[in-house]
Amino acid sequence: MLLKNTYNEFIKIVSKPRSYLGFGALTLLISIIIFAMKADGESIVSFVTASFEQTLSFNGKLVNGNLIAFIILQMLVVHIPLLVALVTGDLISGEAAMGTIRMLASKPISRTQIVLSKFIAGAIYTLLITIWLGVLSLLVSHWVFGSGDLIVLNSDGLVILPEADILWRFGLGFCVAYLALMTVATLSICLSAFAENSIGPIVATMAIIIVFTIIGTLDVTVFDTIKPYLFTTHMASWRSFFEDPIPYDDIIQSIIVLIVHIVVLIAITLYKFNKKDITS
Amino acid sequence: MQTEQVIQVKQLAKKFGNFEAVKDVSFTVNKGDVFGFLGPNGAGKSTTIRCLLSLITPNAGSIELFGKSLAQDRSAILKNVGSIIEKPDFYKYLSAQKNLEIFARISGADVSAKEIAEMLDFVGLGNRAKHKVKGFSHGMKQRLGIAQTLLHKPELIILDEPTTGLDPQGIIEIRNLILRLKNEQNKTILLSSHQLSEIELIANRMVIINQGRSIVEGEVGNLLQSEETVVSIEVDDITKAMNSLSQHFAAASIQQITNKQLEIEVRKQDIPALSKCLVEAGVGIEALEPKRKLEDYFIKTIQS
Amino acid sequence: MKNTLLLSFLFLAFGSFSQTAQSVLDKINKKYAEIKDYTVDAKVTADIPMIKILPSNVKIYFKQKDKFKIESKGIVILPKQGFTELNNFLANKSKYTAVFGDSLVIRTVQTRLINIIPNESNGEIILAKIWVDQENMVIMRSQITTQTNGTVKIDYTYGDQLKKGLPSVMKFEIDVKKFKMPKSVASDINKSSKDPKKEKEKKRTKGTITITLSNYKVNTGLSDAVFKEKKK
Repeated sequence: MLLKNTYNEFIKIVSKPRSYLGFGALTLLISIIIFAMKADGESIVSFVTASFEQTLSFNGKLVNGNLIAFIILQMLVVHIPLLVALVTGDLISGEAAMGTIRMLASKPISRTQIVLSKFIAGAIYTLLITIWLGVLSLLVSHWVFGSGDLIVLNSDGLVILPEADILWRFGLGFCVAYLALMTVATLSICLSAFAENSIGPIVATMAIIIVFTIIGTLDVTVFDTIKPYLFTTHMASWRSFFEDPIPYDDIIQSIIVLIVHIVVLIAITLYKFNKKDITS
Repeated sequence: MQTEQVIQVKQLAKKFGNFEAVKDVSFTVNKGDVFGFLGPNGAGKSTTIRCLLSLITPNAGSIELFGKSLAQDRSAILKNVGSIIEKPDFYKYLSAQKNLEIFARISGADVSAKEIAEMLDFVGLGNRAKHKVKGFSHGMKQRLGIAQTLLHKPELIILDEPTTGLDPQGIIEIRNLILRLKNEQNKTILLSSHQLSEIELIANRMVIINQGRSIVEGEVGNLLQSEETVVSIEVDDITKAMNSLSQHFAAASIQQITNKQLEIEVRKQDIPALSKCLVEAGVGIEALEPKRKLEDYFIKTIQS
Repeated sequence: MKNTLLLSFLFLAFGSFSQTAQSVLDKINKKYAEIKDYTVDAKVTADIPMIKILPSNVKIYFKQKDKFKIESKGIVILPKQGFTELNNFLANKSKYTAVFGDSLVIRTVQTRLINIIPNESNGEIILAKIWVDQENMVIMRSQITTQTNGTVKIDYTYGDQLKKGLPSVMKFEIDVKKFKMPKSVASDINKSSKDPKKEKEKKRTKGTITITLSNYKVNTGLSDAVFKEKKK
């Protein structure tokens, strides 16, 4: 029954026009970024290297597919959660708003299975969005700009990674980015279990991300104790794969925090949805 | 031979916060019944039905379907139940056929594509199978709802206000459909409505609930036969009509409404005698309508 | 034995004093001028605070007087100056005055400092110091201070191209005090640099770039076309 309903959920997702909004928006955003970088990529890079260029010269192809892919990921990290929440935030509440939740919950499928199948379908959708992001950012920017070493600006300096040493970092980076997006998806599904309209959970998810991100960015001592536990702190963890040496301890900690978030949010969703009286 | 009980509800109660939607509802539905579930708006009908479908968890009481406890054997029970609760809602962005496929997959039965097509034909939507539901009228959705209900061939069908919002033609279609299900397929049907006439036409047994309590339960015929009905009559000569009726139905309450219309309270079986009396008195009957509202019936039932 | 040593010392000292700083430079310039062009494989190893880069292999092309090209597969960080500027500056005698300074032993090689003071104040080079191995007539160390790029110190080690005056290793010491981290969209907002190790790293003011040169091909008649490609 779980698999059958997961299939159902996936059909619902692919049949909804809004599911393609994410893919469309990603395609558009990435095209714009690639166009901008093609037009003025050199000056954007020189902004980064300017302070070093008095004494050093950077030789080689600085603006290349790897750098563009990295910049795309960096820029879109704020927007992709919205695109994911747009679909996943609607998974339960959308049924309530449409009235189909009555039909669904009066079938011989348990509510736990309903939630889990929605979660799995949401996970597949998020995966497709992540893959689409990867394909577009990596393949298209490589196609347009060619390959090359990657110059990354971290808080403690520049790291230049050799071309041959990059693809696996992107691969693992995408895996961690996916986990971060899954946390967003699970959060929105969880909020969706509490709401009876589509827009509420989507807006609430974004509001939580924004508030947590602001708390994470503020250099205020009172927030220092909670910062490591905010999932938003770990959403940019994919970036750590582009440091040298790679801070594996930090990454593992981020993965643990994100997984704990996912598990707790699923547990809350299951509890809430199982206890919920469907009166809509 | 002992009658097989399909639904047995005992002392059901449900509270939403401080509001007691259902206080004490008990009734039994037997196999093959078209069971009328009556009550005015807000009586607790929908809450009770939602409890039967495990959409709402009751605070007290017990629900048994097919002799099994709903709380313990939910999945097994619901495989044998088809339902429409209030209006049937579908995934608007999917076609009628896709919607049925979705619900068939989780109905607990193997439903083939052919059966889905046949079901769409059965409810008269065969030619709209590929059309998206968002373009469907309320009546079409209602019929699709019936198709969804019957898809997995359930023994028990629960219909909550299935005729709400339908035009007269739609109401007749649904009524005929229910009768076909009873007569041709011997389904057990629980039919909730706030219109007595609806129940009277198709149900064999019924329960009436009011303010969260079941008031009366029994055979429809027995319950309604003895009841007095307000008959509204439009005549050409109101004075003659009033005089004639006063003589023949001395015990009845007669009320003049306008200079052409009067209302008289008589038993249902006395209606033919009523018209005979007026005709014999030379009164021209322009309209004669038995007006029986469930609310009136309630008051009577409660008072008696 | 003692006498021999004494004689040798006197000879060396006399030899040194017998020529002016300018004449030493003339010899070096002459040697340098004999090299019309060269290509060389280079391995660049950078150890610069705030910049992490793996060693990379490049090919360097040079043609008199100042044609210079670096061919690399990936990104290479090189000092902004130090390859051709000094030699070009030294070649123009009228622009500077050369004065001998102290002697110094650099990696067991006896060298003599020559201070080069520009005659004009508007030139790019403010002061240059070179330590010359007078026996082989090669520059063992240079320290150039320019108007715009600060001070760059270069240590030269010679191998099989010693006679031609082409080094096998050039070690650049670079002043990084002026390096500032740009705050941009690309910076990592979630990371703070409170790691004491990294803080220490930031306080370092010197960085080095070591270029190991091998496989020189000298005077092969490099075409100008080689240098016409877009330099990046």
